[in-house]
Amino acid sequence: MLRYFLRKLFVYGLTFVLAVTIDWSIPHLMPGNPVLTLMGRIQIQDPKVAQQLYAHYMRAFNLDLPLWKQYWYFWVSLFHGDLGTSILQFPSSVTSIIVHAAPYTLGLLIPAILLSWYAGNKVGALAARRKVLDNTVLPLGYALTATPYMWLAIILSWTLAVIWHVFPVGYGYDPTATRGFTWAFIGSLAYHWFLPFMSLFLVSFGGWAIGMRNMIIYELESDYAHYLGALGAPQRLIRKYAFRNAMLPQITGLALSLGTILGGALVTEIVFSYPGLGYQIYRAITNEDYFVIQGIFLFIIIGVLVANFLIDIAYLIVDPRTRTGMMAGGGS
Amino acid sequence: MKRIWTRTAAGLALAALAMIVFSSAASGSGRAPAAGYPRDATLITSGTQWGNIAGTNPYVGNYAAGMVGLVNETLLRYDPIKDVYINWLAKSAKWTGPKQYTLVVRSGIKWADGKAFTGNDVKYNVGLGHFNTAFWNNLWQNVRTIPVKGNTVVFNFKGTPNYVQWQNLMWNLPMISPTQARPLITSSAKLTTYSPANPVGTGPYKIDTTGWDPTTRVVFVRKSTWWAAAQHLSPSPKPKYIIDLVNTSNTNSLNAVLAGVEDLNNNFLPGVNTLVKQGKVQTYYKSSPYMLSANTAWLEPNTRVKPLNDLYFRKALAEALNPKQYASVAESGLVRTANSTGLLPTWNKYVNRTAVTKYGFKYSTSAAKALLKAHGYKLVGGYFTNKDGSAINLDISVPQGWSDWEAARDMIIANAKAAGIRITAKVKDYNTWQSDRNTGKFDLVIDNAYQISDNPWTYWNGIFHMPVITKGTGQTFANFERYNNTTAWKLVQRLDKTPPSQKTTIMSINKQLQTILMQRLPMIPLWYNGVWAQFTSQHWKNWPSSTTSRKYMPAMWRGYLQMTGIDMITHLAPR
Repeated sequence: MLRYFLRKLFVYGLTFVLAVTIDWSIPHLMPGNPVLTLMGRIQIQDPKVAQQLYAHYMRAFNLDLPLWKQYWYFWVSLFHGDLGTSILQFPSSVTSIIVHAAPYTLGLLIPAILLSWYAGNKVGALAARRKVLDNTVLPLGYALTATPYMWLAIILSWTLAVIWHVFPVGYGYDPTATRGFTWAFIGSLAYHWFLPFMSLFLVSFGGWAIGMRNMIIYELESDYAHYLGALGAPQRLIRKYAFRNAMLPQITGLALSLGTILGGALVTEIVFSYPGLGYQIYRAITNEDYFVIQGIFLFIIIGVLVANFLIDIAYLIVDPRTRTGMMAGGGS
Repeated sequence: MKRIWTRTAAGLALAALAMIVFSSAASGSGRAPAAGYPRDATLITSGTQWGNIAGTNPYVGNYAAGMVGLVNETLLRYDPIKDVYINWLAKSAKWTGPKQYTLVVRSGIKWADGKAFTGNDVKYNVGLGHFNTAFWNNLWQNVRTIPVKGNTVVFNFKGTPNYVQWQNLMWNLPMISPTQARPLITSSAKLTTYSPANPVGTGPYKIDTTGWDPTTRVVFVRKSTWWAAAQHLSPSPKPKYIIDLVNTSNTNSLNAVLAGVEDLNNNFLPGVNTLVKQGKVQTYYKSSPYMLSANTAWLEPNTRVKPLNDLYFRKALAEALNPKQYASVAESGLVRTANSTGLLPTWNKYVNRTAVTKYGFKYSTSAAKALLKAHGYKLVGGYFTNKDGSAINLDISVPQGWSDWEAARDMIIANAKAAGIRITAKVKDYNTWQSDRNTGKFDLVIDNAYQISDNPWTYWNGIFHMPVITKGTGQTFANFERYNNTTAWKLVQRLDKTPPSQKTTIMSINKQLQTILMQRLPMIPLWYNGVWAQFTSQHWKNWPSSTTSRKYMPAMWRGYLQMTGIDMITHLAPR
């Protein structure tokens, strides 16, 4: 068991180094110069001032150093917990940007993913054995899963917020709300959270429901299920075993969804002006904010690796075949 | 096992929700009203703050919208509609000699911490220009001494002052508190990172730190006393709170305006003319152009590439274009067509109508074709070729996603095609577009780099600035079309060095420069982009309007409050 985990950690460590290297490289490959974008916001009428400011900011962001030195300092800063300073939002630190935005993204996506996963799997499993549900859930699931997030978000916003005034048009909370641990503010947060959550939940629900429905049918058609039936086992028992096997790929899918969660629901956050990480990434990419791009993608990398690691452990717990194989020395 | 999984998932979901609550709520409490900011006492604005609020440094980048004007004020202000300066923190400010500028600080002005605003505070603020990261560092280099006697500050210059730039500085340099800043701004780098949580200013508002949320909003709370109201120079502003919201998209801004969340929105909202006609929003003008003018949109040719380096080709291109169509269709009638000088309406007094009639260009496809034919271009297969017979295929780009400019770009291509000039659209995101523009990797762009100001010199400096930098950063702030005209550049420099009392000289130089522009066409003016502003009267009334005495700039944009944006706010009344 120990050897298994050590081997896993080694592989994950290598993957981390490679992924972070790519993460560092990508912004530098983008055309353009972010310092010039920053300077475009400053009133400059004199070329000497322009050159002085340019030199200053290039130095401040270490962009005047050779690439290998920038790469080296990136790792040094990383191990000091310093993700750098935003170019676009200078002089805000990347850490402060992430700290402010991440809770909104996590608070939006974790419930949306978990609840859609739970509800989708439940309904999908039911649909696999009830014709009536299968004839309704399946087409609905296909329609929902094929719906682009931003389209549904805009429709929900337009109908429920602009036309019918049932929900707010956007933002994380009422612009006039006083922040604090009060029921009024918590209510405002929930009220503004609902539409973005619903737009994500509905689309994801469709995907999980279809997936589970198809997996259940597959499992019910397998040899072991027929054999159990031939032995006279009750349908409930067969379905129970089928459900367990059908859950395995769904758990993998869940882990991957949660792993990439920190990327945020970019388009949803833009439509609803929801102050999460997705919008930060969008702004960072469109403005070549190197360090915010690197910082947020770093979190995504860590999230995916941690999620994969947890799913490896989960499989050991959930799937006795994996456990047996590992103990016999065949673990991957 | 199933129960464990279910409970774990439920726990995770609840923990995630709790994270939002804790993170948002933890920064709250304190002085903000417990029941929230009362809507009828709060002005909500948006349209300036794209992206997170990056602190309170008034010199750099994305600082809190409204800082300069509401918190930190300027010595003078400028009214671009009346084209007059307004003495503000300075009771008077004028040139008292060819190399001397004397400013008298108004008495009775106090900082938010209760200290008096004095001449020494002015000296401190202007003196920050000695840091090479100050945008006015070039002007500081020419200052010899600044003796201060009470409220009188005298600036003595070493050489001939840059009169225009200096005057521009007087209404653009925000006064920050020396008591607060002196311990912190100790180097050039610190000048750019200075960002106090609770900036001390002389303005009518201060920042409500408990409402501050860099991802969502900045909240300003009205001070109990304001010197301008006490001295009857301005009404006291009625909104007790002003909340400026972070923008994420024009779509959401439109929704927010229609839902009554925002009172004033300064985004470009295509189709807002329809909303005005429906009575859902108001604008400065009740009909086209609906908006005041903020800057000129130019067609900017790269004058270093063939055949744009040929004057007659540029003239033909100008005559092939139909700016009226771009203004009325692409911009939905929300803007005015530019005249041939490109000078904004605020500078109408400088426009030489005779020269415009003589040298200006008019839309005429046939005239464009005739001009090209007369100057050696041959029409082959519907398109003109270069004089050497090689094909002409120019690219044109605008920042991707600027839908009105993209529409105008397509119309330009169609107009040019009708005149036999082949132009192809190149799609670029903003940063690539800007980088290519700065480094000369383009043929044609639509650009609006030069903004409204108190003097057309800022335009001329942008258009004719020399030398053109061909390496490294390229052009960083001016002359993106890479046009060399030594005569014009000397005139621009002379204009900056001409005392404001020499009105005849100033007028003459401006006339010469606009004549050169129309004759040589380094840039082709298209339309005047608007001061995008739409507002509703659900909570506040008495908005700026062309049909009332409230002819003010209806914008919270940076640089606009110290024009007459602050007057917009002080004249609002609750519904």
